[in-house]
Amino acid sequence: MKRSLSAPSGLWLVALPAAAIVIVPVLAVFWRTDWSSFLTLISNETSRTALVLSLRTSLVATSLALVFGTPLAWLLANRDFKFKSLVRAFCVLPMVLPPVVGGVALLYAFGRRGLVGARLDEWFGIQLAFTETAAILAQFFVAAPFFILVMEAAFDQVDRRIVGTARTFGAGPWRTFATVTLGLVRPSLLAALVLTWARALGEFGATIAFAGNTAGRTQTVPLAVYSQLESGGDDALALSTLMMIVSLGVLIALRGRWVSALRRGGQ
Amino acid sequence: MSLEIDCQLQRDKFNLEVHLTVAPGSVLAITGENGSGKTSTLDMIAGLLACTTGKISLNDRVFDDSTTNQFVQPEKRGVSTVFQGGGLFSHMTVEKNMIFGRGAAFRNTPRFDSAVEQFNLTGLLSRKPSTLSGGQRQRVALARAFLAPSEILLLDEPTTSLDATSRDEVRGAMKTFFETYNGVVVLVSHDAAEIAELATSVAQITISRGENTAAVLRN
Repeated sequence: MKRSLSAPSGLWLVALPAAAIVIVPVLAVFWRTDWSSFLTLISNETSRTALVLSLRTSLVATSLALVFGTPLAWLLANRDFKFKSLVRAFCVLPMVLPPVVGGVALLYAFGRRGLVGARLDEWFGIQLAFTETAAILAQFFVAAPFFILVMEAAFDQVDRRIVGTARTFGAGPWRTFATVTLGLVRPSLLAALVLTWARALGEFGATIAFAGNTAGRTQTVPLAVYSQLESGGDDALALSTLMMIVSLGVLIALRGRWVSALRRGGQ
Repeated sequence: MSLEIDCQLQRDKFNLEVHLTVAPGSVLAITGENGSGKTSTLDMIAGLLACTTGKISLNDRVFDDSTTNQFVQPEKRGVSTVFQGGGLFSHMTVEKNMIFGRGAAFRNTPRFDSAVEQFNLTGLLSRKPSTLSGGQRQRVALARAFLAPSEILLLDEPTTSLDATSRDEVRGAMKTFFETYNGVVVLVSHDAAEIAELATSVAQITISRGENTAAVLRN
């Protein structure tokens, strides 16, 4: 017998199905994967095109989240302004919205006859829907909230007095931000970037609604998996295995850091 | 020619009134119970807080004036600070902390070397603040303040939460620091022995608590 305080008996028995329902499908994918043809399958024409497209669009979407999300997160953490809680609620909305609904919303905003899209087309001849840019916007829409939420929590954790100290030692607001604030939030920043990128990489619903499913243009890996699954190919499984490896790799790399960041942000 | 403060800070249900004159070369100690506005006073001098009404000036330079709406940003005031816990940048080495805002070349100056010796920091330069003891951290913070070109030095309870040995060390470091410093020193402290040893004058915050708290600090 281990000498420790006892837990309610039978808890393990009830807890096990919850773990199993997640673990079993992961194992099933690895179990069914034909490892001898794995590399061939993920490097065939369709898969390779989808992989390159996914990598490119998800990296651009993550960079956009970094560039535009960082100032927003800083303002949310450090400044009081009108409608702040409303702004924050809207920033987080895509996390609870079904992604496909997000895609529909993007279509009505930036589609050829959308609120903004109609003007873009009329004035500049720019059409966004069903382009690679649309795929990037869809990914940004669903993934940026993760970045903003984690970074707001991180900026909120930064000791105001340390920032103040930097100011008294002659650093202006920008230099203080660059050398002190960013230095202090660096671990969270890396976690936020990886998490955002992983979410962008896995984006499906908003993409298929707003960008469509055109091979080579908007068919990212999740869309390719979906198409291949419908046509019954083995490459769907191979691509799924690859995404599974990437996702597990991300979680192992972060080691639960994003969970604690979100938890702090919720307080 | 001195640091002159005549101002008020109003927060909901708290009103702090400060009237101080501190001459260069002197060390003013501020005492008072917790939450009476000692740190807020330092913040107003440093420019981390603006006065609600009133004026702060050093010699003929106006830092803050509510009537003319002037406010000089902290980085332009020539103030160096040792805030509670040292206020070190935890992601930088001791050396980077000490040369903060000075450029890497400053490390090779005789002034830097003498500060390392004076504050007994040999062997600590490449360490991160989290690996130092409380006393060592305060000595680094003092060295950083010593190296910064400043006309005002603000210290917020520099020896609180230190054990007796470290406290003596840090006090000794402050003493040698003050001897060669010809700016204005404002020291927040609870410790009567420390004040007796280091300060040239004392100002106490008087506080009256009612529905609204009113604190007054004058010398």
